Amino acid sequence: MTEVATAPAVPVAGRAHASLARLVRAELRWIFRRPRTLVVLGLLAVIPVIVGIALTLVDSPGPPGGGDGGGESLLATAGGNALVLPIGTLAMALGLLLPLSAAMAGADALAGESAHGTLRGWLLGPVSRGRLLLVKSIGVAVFTVTATVVMALTGVLTGLVINGTGSLFTLSGTTLSFPAALLKVAIAAGWVALQLWAVGAVALAISAWTEHPMVVLASVLGGVIVFSVLGLLDALDWLHPFLLNHSWTDLGDVLRDPMPGGALAEGALRAGCYIAIALSLAYARLSTKDG
Amino acid sequence: MNPKKRAVTVAVAGTAIGAAGLAVMAMPAGAEEAPELPPVSAQELVSSVLRADIPALAGNVRIENDLGLPSMPGLPVLDVESARVYHDGDEGSRIALEQGSSELTVVQNGGTVWSYDSAENSATKLTVPAETREHRAHAQEGFSDPTSAAGQLLDYVRQSSTVSVDGTASVADRPAYELVLTPKPSERTLLREVRIAVDSETRVPLRMSVLTNGTTEPALEIGFTDIDFGQQPANLFQFTPPQGATVTEERPRAHDERMPAGAIGEFSGEGWDTVYTGTVPADLTAAQDTEGRDVQSLLDRLGKRVSGDFGSGYAIETKVGTAIVTDDGRFAVGAVPQQVLTDALAQR
Repeated sequence: MTEVATAPAVPVAGRAHASLARLVRAELRWIFRRPRTLVVLGLLAVIPVIVGIALTLVDSPGPPGGGDGGGESLLATAGGNALVLPIGTLAMALGLLLPLSAAMAGADALAGESAHGTLRGWLLGPVSRGRLLLVKSIGVAVFTVTATVVMALTGVLTGLVINGTGSLFTLSGTTLSFPAALLKVAIAAGWVALQLWAVGAVALAISAWTEHPMVVLASVLGGVIVFSVLGLLDALDWLHPFLLNHSWTDLGDVLRDPMPGGALAEGALRAGCYIAIALSLAYARLSTKDG
Repeated sequence: MNPKKRAVTVAVAGTAIGAAGLAVMAMPAGAEEAPELPPVSAQELVSSVLRADIPALAGNVRIENDLGLPSMPGLPVLDVESARVYHDGDEGSRIALEQGSSELTVVQNGGTVWSYDSAENSATKLTVPAETREHRAHAQEGFSDPTSAAGQLLDYVRQSSTVSVDGTASVADRPAYELVLTPKPSERTLLREVRIAVDSETRVPLRMSVLTNGTTEPALEIGFTDIDFGQQPANLFQFTPPQGATVTEERPRAHDERMPAGAIGEFSGEGWDTVYTGTVPADLTAAQDTEGRDVQSLLDRLGKRVSGDFGSGYAIETKVGTAIVTDDGRFAVGAVPQQVLTDALAQR
């Protein structure tokens, strides 16, 4: 780990507060210099390309009757549609891959640094704990936004290369102009990023409580899987609105025209609630942590 | 405040806010208090509904069915749970049925009806000839005097049912009158009552529920969950098939072509216990569905064997109706108990 040397510079003693912008810049440099960050981003970028090519080569409309799974049946229509491809692959990746990468960022942010001993520098330095959490949250948030935007962009490009600009149409059959289509993709990407912030916030909270990044990864991933299973059980209807991934299948609503906003707004609110809970718990732990 | 105390405060406050937010979302929309509205008679209500033109609106319709239908493969229409409905107050309308992650859109503008299925990327254009539309317009002129039309309609309905205005309800946040049709005790039917909620201001029907004997929850309920009255963008009522879509053009079939020969049946009985009996067309009995199952095996799975004076066959029972298909190819359906059907079949 040669990067350890470039760890966020602890401000020189004597200066009471390091400027927030400088701390964030250092944190971002720290995140985006990690090889694994770049590898994950690269892999996410390739997914829409692979899906697009596969759908074009196979050219089958999918199993008859489709299915109820969010991403999977959206992808059935993505073959000839440059608008559905990016949003469909985002919906698919939101099932597991994107939460995994958000969890990875959250795990590295506190537990990872703890494991390497570099968190001590932060805790001993003249940086308030609230500010430390803010910097770490911004780091996770920027990473997840980058991951979503990268996927959306390669998705749009792949769709346009395969199907041309005429193929930007919604599930309601309305053909959209290029800017209108980009707006829809941006809405989808922004909504997905918000959901990932919620996952990342939970990861940060767990990260603050442990020194082992693997624990964070395992619990977030386990949580996503358990939540999906609970979501499938009709007997637990009353529990579903509490599950973060309850609204993840509603991403397809972006593709309808006019766009029904109710389910998406509810999903955004749910993510906000998770962020509030997780960040407050993370702050509580971090502020009482001994240097 | 020492750090520990502050940590606990922040943790408790943040968790409380978040949990409260989640709980609010999980809260089922409680039954709202019935709004106070000036009393109205059933006849006034029906005539005002007939008189009302549907104004420009946009709304969400929720379809809940608890019909007790046996699950039937290959009938995706039954999966529809919600639809978005738009109307321009004149000749244009748009309905979007959401089915999982795909959508079925029907756009009507004057004489042209487009339907588009996103799962198949296929569009169908149906042109209604001008004379058919004029014919319809004439039929509507029969209602030119809504008051007397309502009277005639009510007289007919009252032969078999009790019609009343049973209080008020709040549907899609709008005050509405509840019009209730109850079958007379002499009627032999599975249905207990049909309730129609009519918006108090625009007199647009907002919700219809069908209740069956022995249940408190409606067997079928179609109603707006939210509705906005007001001008809708004109482009909603235009449709251009997207790139790569399979487009088929259709003209409506003439009336006598619509029914395949041999399936002609007839109604018997009146009112709620009306039964439709007839003969199943031969080509349907021989038909196989996409997965190679024939009608016989489908009946085996859905129905149960019954026999009696009428012969023998399969009875398919749901909460709202019964159907019998006999082995010699006759059928009878109605919103009635099985006994009524076997009687009707025995008479044929």
